[in-house]
Amino acid sequence: MAVGDAVAVAARNVDPMSAISPQVPIRPSDRPSRGDRIFRGFTVGAAMLALVTVVVAILFLANEARPALSSTGLKNFFTSTIWNGFIGQFGILGVMVGTMIIATIAMIVAVPAALSMALFINEYAPRKVGRLLTSVVDLLAALPSLIFGMWGRDAFQQKLVPVARWLSDHLYAIPFFRLSAEDVVLVRSSFVVGVIVGIMVIPIITSISRDVMAQAPRDVCEAALGLGGTRWGMIRTVILPFGRSGIIGGILLAFGRALGETIAVALIIQLTFDINWHVLEAGGSSVAGLIAVRFGEATPLERSGLIAAGFALLVLTFTVNLIARRIVKRGQIK
Amino acid sequence: MSTHLDHDQQHRTNESVALAPQHLGPAAQGASSLTATDVSCWFGSRQVLERCSLSMEPGKVTALIGPSGCGKSTFLRTLNRMHEVVPGAKIAGTVELDGQDIYGEDLGVTEVRMAIGMVFQKPNPFPSMSIRDNVLAGLKLSGKSAGDKDTVVEESLRRAGLWNEVKDRLHDGGMSLSGGQQQRLCIARSLAVHPRVLLMDEPCSALDPISTRVVEETVIELAHQITIVIVTHNMQQAQRVSSQCAFFLVEEQKQPGRIVEAGDTATLFTNPKDQRTLDYVTGRFG
Repeated sequence: MAVGDAVAVAARNVDPMSAISPQVPIRPSDRPSRGDRIFRGFTVGAAMLALVTVVVAILFLANEARPALSSTGLKNFFTSTIWNGFIGQFGILGVMVGTMIIATIAMIVAVPAALSMALFINEYAPRKVGRLLTSVVDLLAALPSLIFGMWGRDAFQQKLVPVARWLSDHLYAIPFFRLSAEDVVLVRSSFVVGVIVGIMVIPIITSISRDVMAQAPRDVCEAALGLGGTRWGMIRTVILPFGRSGIIGGILLAFGRALGETIAVALIIQLTFDINWHVLEAGGSSVAGLIAVRFGEATPLERSGLIAAGFALLVLTFTVNLIARRIVKRGQIK
Repeated sequence: MSTHLDHDQQHRTNESVALAPQHLGPAAQGASSLTATDVSCWFGSRQVLERCSLSMEPGKVTALIGPSGCGKSTFLRTLNRMHEVVPGAKIAGTVELDGQDIYGEDLGVTEVRMAIGMVFQKPNPFPSMSIRDNVLAGLKLSGKSAGDKDTVVEESLRRAGLWNEVKDRLHDGGMSLSGGQQQRLCIARSLAVHPRVLLMDEPCSALDPISTRVVEETVIELAHQITIVIVTHNMQQAQRVSSQCAFFLVEEQKQPGRIVEAGDTATLFTNPKDQRTLDYVTGRFG
């Protein structure tokens, strides 16, 4: 009896419930050194700076855009192509479509050229040539867009006239390349601006995709060659799938840049507020170009309208980025 | 785990029984011979191999052994023109597949690599492809018509001893397999283009002992069908799988590697002619 009691007491001492009572998970704490805390503070501050900038910019744009939006009405703003600062009519449909047209033409020019360049540097060029080309491409990226704009306006766009002529003669089946009349002007068009912006963004796509594709695992590349694959076969089966998300990322960065390109557009394009589907003909528009051309002499109300257009551009770029992220994610292998 | 393996083993035995009637005898008909004569190799100006001559007999496993850095992998890579993939790599000498010079004008480099397949040190399936697409990748790459794709996939996976493990998940990613299975997938991928010779560059060095055993059994099984050349660090492995053997050695630092001795595996390991071979195979260095 006494012995039994002793056992019972001992058992109670270790608390028979402890084995089944739920445990509370904790994070082991650590006291970082002072230097560590200061550095941490800096990084937190820097990260916050980005967030604060975005929020402040959005609030500013939204606030400044209000007068114009209430004057023209939200529906009108998105669906009209009439822009008149005096009567307070701000329709951005034509300008938004024009922005997309220019950026799309730029991508059609830039993507194949940039990817070919990247593949040539990585896979075909002798090492010295590759290194030289890489620095030339980087130099191209450093050229201010003003230079491209001036060069495009004063020299390059005349060279593009025969190209535009050829496209309208031979690719008549594509509605965009049709001309509205025989004697239309073939400069100061979306096509010219698109090509020039395309050339401008080539270095962005080239350098990002080149970096990504250079990381393709060499042993898997060798597997493709070892199976009797050609170099192109290896690129197709290993390098492009491997670099896919990086390449898409680079393209989107360039697309964003093309959507927002200002000075080159402003210098070259003949501004119109209508949607001009005849991309080879003079007349086109982009949000950024519109703002650059009009902002200086705008009345306070029109200035508000321009800011509203800028805000819409921001939303467009943001949406493009979101969609792109989706695409990149969906492509990843399980 | 062990029951799973036993199960697996049983299936493998069944597979080999199924293959046996057509592929009896050590040197199956249709296997090819590969002959290297005075092969020397350079990376830039540095010579890494000096006048290596070796005859790899049809339908047999030839093992290339030797310490690290002796040039055996380089030699292997000259046998299907993979050496030249490295920028600045050069080669002298001849390699003949059934008497035809693989560096000659008549054969393109892609034809050579299709006829002489290669399995690499690290399993390297194409990460973006399913198991099935990995097997078919060689056919797609070379533009060869596959015939009935399902048949090619099943036959190649069976020959590599992987069919029973993956037949229900052919559309899963190639990277979802274990390391040993990935390596057998790479073997199946090489076999799908029907090579006459299979080169294997330390195929088990990244694998655990159990996977190693399975791959070795696959090698022994395949030897009845095609000519195999295998580089290995592991002397027990050389003894287990090969019937012919060549011992490579770099005499002094910065000197190119040479073949010290080549011949019957059993003789090389028990009664070598050269003292250095004896020292190596008895574990006195290396």
